[in-house]
Amino acid sequence: MPAGRPGPAAQSARRPPPLLPLLLLCVLGAPRAGSGAHTAVISPQDPTLLIGSSLQATCSVHGDPPGATAEGLYWTLNGRRLAPELSRVLNASTLALALANLNGSRQQSGDNLVCHARDGSILAGSCLYVGLPPEKPFNISCWSKNMKDLTCRWTPGAHGETFLHTNYSLKYKLRWYGQDNTCEEYHTVGPHSCHVPKDLALFTPYEIWVEATNRLGSARSDVLTLDILDVVTTDPPPDVHVSRVGGLEDQLSVRWVSPPALKDFLFQAKYQIRYRVEDSVDWKVVDDVSNQTSCRLAGLKPGTVYFVQVRCNPFGIYGSKKAGIWSEWSHPTAASTPRSGEAGPGSPRATPSRGGGEPSSGPVRRELKQFLGWLKKHAYCSNLSFRLYDQWRAWMQKSHKTRNQVGRRRGPAQVGVGEGTGRGAGGKQAGEAGPQPPRHRRLPSKHRTRGSCPRADGARREVSGAGRAGGRGARRGPLPPLAAGLARNPPPCPSLRAADAQPLRLPVVVFSGVSLAW
Amino acid sequence: MSRREGSLEDPQADSSVSLLPHLEAKIRQTHSLAHLLTKYAEQLLQEYVQHQGDPFGLPGFSPPRLPVAGLSAPAPSHAGLPLPERLRLDAAALAALPPLLDAVRRRQAELNPRAPRLLRHLEDAARQVRALGAALETVLAALGAAAHGPRPEPPATATAATAATATAAGVFPAKVLGLRVCGLYREWVSRTEGDLSQLVPGGPA
Repeated sequence: MPAGRPGPAAQSARRPPPLLPLLLLCVLGAPRAGSGAHTAVISPQDPTLLIGSSLQATCSVHGDPPGATAEGLYWTLNGRRLAPELSRVLNASTLALALANLNGSRQQSGDNLVCHARDGSILAGSCLYVGLPPEKPFNISCWSKNMKDLTCRWTPGAHGETFLHTNYSLKYKLRWYGQDNTCEEYHTVGPHSCHVPKDLALFTPYEIWVEATNRLGSARSDVLTLDILDVVTTDPPPDVHVSRVGGLEDQLSVRWVSPPALKDFLFQAKYQIRYRVEDSVDWKVVDDVSNQTSCRLAGLKPGTVYFVQVRCNPFGIYGSKKAGIWSEWSHPTAASTPRSGEAGPGSPRATPSRGGGEPSSGPVRRELKQFLGWLKKHAYCSNLSFRLYDQWRAWMQKSHKTRNQVGRRRGPAQVGVGEGTGRGAGGKQAGEAGPQPPRHRRLPSKHRTRGSCPRADGARREVSGAGRAGGRGARRGPLPPLAAGLARNPPPCPSLRAADAQPLRLPVVVFSGVSLAW
Repeated sequence: MSRREGSLEDPQADSSVSLLPHLEAKIRQTHSLAHLLTKYAEQLLQEYVQHQGDPFGLPGFSPPRLPVAGLSAPAPSHAGLPLPERLRLDAAALAALPPLLDAVRRRQAELNPRAPRLLRHLEDAARQVRALGAALETVLAALGAAAHGPRPEPPATATAATAATATAAGVFPAKVLGLRVCGLYREWVSRTEGDLSQLVPGGPA
């Protein structure tokens, strides 16, 4: 009997149907009472073929009365009648079919090839499985949630579609000993994933691979070797709170708790914060918030609602040198910055600039922002600039006497920046030293920026952009000489750890064109 | 409910005898279940043909109505039988369906492993028809119309042979067998609903 030419690793889909001892259920062709109907058999039954291959099939008719003829028989494939030229009568009772360049199967249960009698009734059927052998799975990635389980994901081979049901099996074993194990919980995080819930060893490498099998063959991925401790992730930080920083209109304070599941393990958590304005889809990311559970966001827009999220990387578990895997982001937490001029608890009053009161008037504030924006950009000390600004403000609150002595000036002025610089506040005549912030002076806690963290790039751009744009009435012009020098040769960033107790050693920043009339 | 509170022999004559409220409730409940399963059976049939591929879902598709071990379609004369006999035949058919549906589900798990909904619905159908059969038996027992003596249940060997055949036969015959079983499931739950409607108080006589 002519048969189809299966692919290199073709498997017969089914065993040939056995004789049915009880014959309570017949294969197709059970004679209908009184109809004189025929039976037929299609060969091959349920072949498996490669895409593009050919098939030779036959439909042999038997029946009552004997001498059933192949005349008038015809073929359909998936309900569509095949062209007569594809068929030919082999003998009186056999109709042959030749199909070339087969396409992939339309459904995973097989394409339905049916032999019909002249009147259209179904005499016999056979299901064709046309497809491709699986390709090697690749890109296996695995992670462990709190060191208790292992989840792996993979990509199913270069072309993916085999047109045949392909079974994927994730296997794993301890590298140095043990037997192969098979993962059992599939599709946990997508169609090509598996979850091993328990009984995993630590401090010893596993070998992990994926086997793909279908009717036309099998393929195996490369082996991935890993230690569970090197692929640990955890839950997002709980209890994320975002709040205003007094009346500071461009800042928000973010606090969170370290994930409880790993609190007993020695590791240095790294955190990452991202935030966006309410009606934006662009997140700004604050990187490398190392091992702290609070951070202050600065350079924000006043009177704006921000959404904030935090995630954790359990870096260095049990002394591992490798970074862990970032957790999911925490649920968004929202807070709004105060509006311009809105007074908050403990916030400096927005008073006119003459004689007393805070240096929070618009022009000065804008120019300070300009300065800070430039400093951040050129000095690469983003966190430094922010703390300096805080310290500057705190110092200015207590130095209003100095402010009263300062008039509008043109020309260079010396500005001492931050605590312990030994230089006076701005607005002095050139060369004069104004009142200096005392060295080693400890700032009140409300001004201490405990946990302040670097600004995001976007935020940095946002601030310096505003500075460049200048807002209203901002001055533009060339950088003062020392500032220009600093721009060419930015000073190194000093350490800020426990900086409250240590003097900051910074060059004096001299710039001109800044109105220092408070 | 050991006493006959009503009689199935002549519902019209005994209409003056009111059924106990709980029996009445049981009949209504069983009828409602049959009504629900009739709809589920129709949906199952549609879902089944979709997964077998054309020509199974095409209009005019008419495969041979293969005999299934231990279960046949309701006879044309079924409607003319006395109500108790009809209900007994319904109960017998409902008892024969679960292993057949299980056999179809196992075969479909091989042919359509990526059709979890179909597999789940086949499993649900087997469970639900068992429940309907048990409820109908309870009603029959309460009415004193349960089969006396050995009921012509499908022999276990016949059911096992069907199950084995479903596994061993070629793929196309297995698809046709599954279609036949789903069709019988629909026919018998629909028949049961119709027969029970004659018991429901206030329903058609």
